[in-house]
Amino acid sequence: MADERSGELARYVDALLEGRRPAPGDVGSDEAPAARLASELAAAGDPSRADPDPAFVEQLRRRMQDADQGLADVGSALPPTRRVRLTRRDLLRVGLGAAAGLAAGAAGISLLRPANRVPLVDPGRALVRDGEWVQVATLADLPERAAVRFRTVAFDGYVVNDRGVIRALSSVCTHMGCTLEYRPEWWDLRCPCHGASFNLMGELANGRDGWSEGSGYAGDSAAYPIQLPPLVRPEVKVDGDRVLVWTVSA
Amino acid sequence: MAAADRPTETRGRFEAIYAEHVTPIHRFIYARVGNRPDAEDLTGQVFMRAVEQLDVHRPPAQVTAWLYRVAQNAVADYWRAFYRLPRIGLEQVAVAWEPMALEPPPHAEVEAQKAAAAVRRLLKTLPEQYARVLELRFLHRLSVAETAERLGISHGNAKVLQYRALRRAAVLAELDG
Repeated sequence: MADERSGELARYVDALLEGRRPAPGDVGSDEAPAARLASELAAAGDPSRADPDPAFVEQLRRRMQDADQGLADVGSALPPTRRVRLTRRDLLRVGLGAAAGLAAGAAGISLLRPANRVPLVDPGRALVRDGEWVQVATLADLPERAAVRFRTVAFDGYVVNDRGVIRALSSVCTHMGCTLEYRPEWWDLRCPCHGASFNLMGELANGRDGWSEGSGYAGDSAAYPIQLPPLVRPEVKVDGDRVLVWTVSA
Repeated sequence: MAAADRPTETRGRFEAIYAEHVTPIHRFIYARVGNRPDAEDLTGQVFMRAVEQLDVHRPPAQVTAWLYRVAQNAVADYWRAFYRLPRIGLEQVAVAWEPMALEPPPHAEVEAQKAAAAVRRLLKTLPEQYARVLELRFLHRLSVAETAERLGISHGNAKVLQYRALRRAAVLAELDG
């Protein structure tokens, strides 16, 4: 009994000490006070991680700007509870010119994009000589910031709409081969195994060599001490409404 | 001030508030959850909420108090949701401008010192073997296997020892806190 529980708590503590997110399922609610104490001890024992990762700070700043972008305060003299909130769609409905003026005047919104512009394509490169175009999604599946996971005979990947640019990327982490998860709010592909975070260009964003402004990731560079090769980007094209990837024939 | 300047000024104030507070808020949360991924998630929640609800034209002390209150609630929710712990004390207070914070928001350095002192006190209070296993694991960051070797006990026993030490320590921390 004690053996089993001590094993569960040990897994939890291992995660903490390795800088990973602990799984609450590892401990029963009886063990919660011990888990909480372990968390506080882990923090006290490693103050070097108390300061936020600069890349995280930058990324959160971008998230906040994104959130703010769709909001306009009409009459900022009103108390906060009486502010009127307009979504970007509302602004577009009102009329782009008027809305842009209103928005720029009201909230300093810097970017207003037409909602349905034709996306650009970042073609990537052909990975195989003898292949074929395989449809993996439609444009309707891919509004801005959306991603579609696809699987062909020889290739697992995502097609993403990265701020109006369609791109295909491998969904396989270049560390140990785990399947990456797309996190739209962070603009990244995150590895559930060890926390590697790839930006939508396929570059490791939280590796040893640190981060670059605008790379877009959430992560802990200190917890990801090695460098990884970028994700492979297969050739992709848009034909009418179809999004196709060049891959090995079935 | 001209009405047209207002939003830009609001944006600027928010940026300044973020720049000033993101590190101390992250530290505050990290000290309570002990890992960066969760600390980042909760820090994100605090500031995303601030985008929607924080009135940046409040006096700085109130803004700071508001952020810490939200951070405290986020931590309480974290533990409650994951471990069904009851919420206690200040954490029950809803986030509101009034009344003002009952106590000054913790200063990050002071917090860290207090935490270190609390750990030392805790380790002194525990039976020696318990203190030793926690010290090796949490302060020296040794693995269970290395800890077992250092203490001359089996791997399984080291886990059990760690388990008992944490449970005992949690009880003591409760009494202490």
